[in-house]
Amino acid sequence: MAKKKAQPETWYPMDNAGVLYAAISGDDYSPVYRISAVLDKAVDAAALQRALEKNIPRFPTFHVRLRKGAFWYYFVPDDRPGPFVQEDVCNFCQPMDPCGEATRLLRVCRYENRVSIECFHALSDGGGAMVFFKTLLACYFRELGEDIPDGDGILDVTEPPRSGETEDAYRRYAGGRAAPRTWKQTAYHPTGTPEPFYTLNVTQGLLSVAQVKQVAKANGGSITEYLSAALIWTLMELQRREGRKERPVSLAIPIDLRRFFPTETVRNFILTARPCIDPRLGDYTFPEVMEQVRYQLRLELSRPLMKGSITGNVNFQKNPILKAVPCVLKDPVMKLSYRLAAIRPFSMTYTNPGIFKAPAPMARHIQRVEAVLGQPYGDTVNCASVSCGDALSISFASNLKERDVEREFFRFLVREGLHVTVLSNRSDPS
Amino acid sequence: MSYCVHCGVELDDTAAVCPLCATPVHDPKTPRDTVSPTPYPTRSSTVELPGKGELGLLVTVILCAVAAVCGVLNVFLKPGRLWSLYVIGALLTVWFWLILPIFLPKLHRAVKVLLDGAAVALYLFLISVDLSGRTWYVGLALPIVLAETAIVLAVALWLPRHSILTSITVLIGGVAASCLCIELFVDRFLTGRWQPLWSLVVTAACAAIMAVLIVVRRVPGLRAWARRQFHL
Ligand SMILES: [Zn+2]
Repeated sequence: MAKKKAQPETWYPMDNAGVLYAAISGDDYSPVYRISAVLDKAVDAAALQRALEKNIPRFPTFHVRLRKGAFWYYFVPDDRPGPFVQEDVCNFCQPMDPCGEATRLLRVCRYENRVSIECFHALSDGGGAMVFFKTLLACYFRELGEDIPDGDGILDVTEPPRSGETEDAYRRYAGGRAAPRTWKQTAYHPTGTPEPFYTLNVTQGLLSVAQVKQVAKANGGSITEYLSAALIWTLMELQRREGRKERPVSLAIPIDLRRFFPTETVRNFILTARPCIDPRLGDYTFPEVMEQVRYQLRLELSRPLMKGSITGNVNFQKNPILKAVPCVLKDPVMKLSYRLAAIRPFSMTYTNPGIFKAPAPMARHIQRVEAVLGQPYGDTVNCASVSCGDALSISFASNLKERDVEREFFRFLVREGLHVTVLSNRSDPS
Repeated sequence: MSYCVHCGVELDDTAAVCPLCATPVHDPKTPRDTVSPTPYPTRSSTVELPGKGELGLLVTVILCAVAAVCGVLNVFLKPGRLWSLYVIGALLTVWFWLILPIFLPKLHRAVKVLLDGAAVALYLFLISVDLSGRTWYVGLALPIVLAETAIVLAVALWLPRHSILTSITVLIGGVAASCLCIELFVDRFLTGRWQPLWSLVVTAACAAIMAVLIVVRRVPGLRAWARRQFHL
């Protein structure tokens, strides 16, 4: 009888973005985002639970717990049963106490026709979570008797996980020269009356992809470029109306690096682009804003520049002096540098995890896919959009009582001749 | 299928108001759908705060332990003097100033100022017990602490509701009032008569600055100039 080998304790070091997200989460902020799909029928919770149980072993980095070491955070596999499908609530993307005993860093919820996953950002970015979600939906439809082939981002759940899927792609592509850090100007921040903790006001606009594409093309750009320009335009209008000292208006747009640096990873692999218009330089028209945003976005998507940024970020993590500083001291410094480098120079975050492509037998059951960025950092609003088939959904998440950004943005799209349907989780003020 | 008359966006059949501008949906031909499920759940969930309670508790326990050790040591070391009261008083003040807000983050500003003032008064009282300084405590320390607490309370209640120029004016006024009070009580304790000297100099300077600020605040042209100059 062979003696059972003692299993070495597995653990995952955090990737570059994960280190940051773990450090900045506290009792006032949790980086949690959500991806949902609205199906053609009410969701069968039991079938979804069975699908989840088949799906989870294929994605070991989604079933982990966060541990706080003396010097760095790290993940250990979560040996508890679950996660379990929950009934959805209206104030979703609830904060997580990342190292808490009862915390689950991944949630799966259902409400009527909607299936949602909520993910702690240190686990994965939108691109990785999309692969998890797509594979989960494929398992769900198979439970309902559909024949869904793998491919189009759906992984084979009968296979064991491949090492490339859990790799830290930042480390793989870091090397060579590090890009110097540049000091960016403080941007305008839309703000208002904060809601009580923890309220999440979600306002969602549904549009037709074909229509938006046509309007974007008429303005000479892609959908992301057009929506970014529309957001910047809205923020510029709001700033002018406030009549305060003018500041540049810029967006934080996470860029999925998988497009430029091939990897199978389902963990974080993003960088942030910063299209920026400085209204102090003159009165821009919308086509001019559109043109600027388009050029700036393409300028930032240069491979050597992105590689340099990755190297710089990874060098920070490898720095022997920083390695020796305990977490207790490092966290406040990271929080401060996050505020200075990732919040201060950006008016708003706008993320577009791309097009949700699914094989035909699955796509015909999906009405639309939604992405919600969750709680914004500070009293402000953020935006996410995702498309599936001809359905484009744009979701604003805010913790403000006011709805100025949402209102002006969607009114702008209506004036541009687009048909917009608006849904919200705000309770009626009656 | 209805549209918001202000925004031009289509609304869900279950919506009572437009989510963008809160205009009520009023369609006499099609009443609002109250049967179908709303696009989002209506049930909300409360958030259990991971809270800093643990940290506060830890620090409280440490402070208590230090206080207890000092109290016990006092019995053996120089038992003639109540030196441990200095340490215990300081710890108590630190607790009121820094740790209580962790436990009660929503404590009203006014209550916090009053408690902080009381903590300082208590600390001074403990010192006066050791130095047998009842006279100076009642005659000097207590009146100053009370007066300063009242001034800080007034400023704290006034500040957040006003513009930055008004706030600066009030703050400077508070400084002048504090100086006047301190000299008043010091003089009364030492000589029995109020002969304001240095505090008048401070007050005159403060009054001059306040006058400028009030004029700037009142005259729109000057106010705009100040905003431009100082990026207010
Ligand atoms: Zn409206």
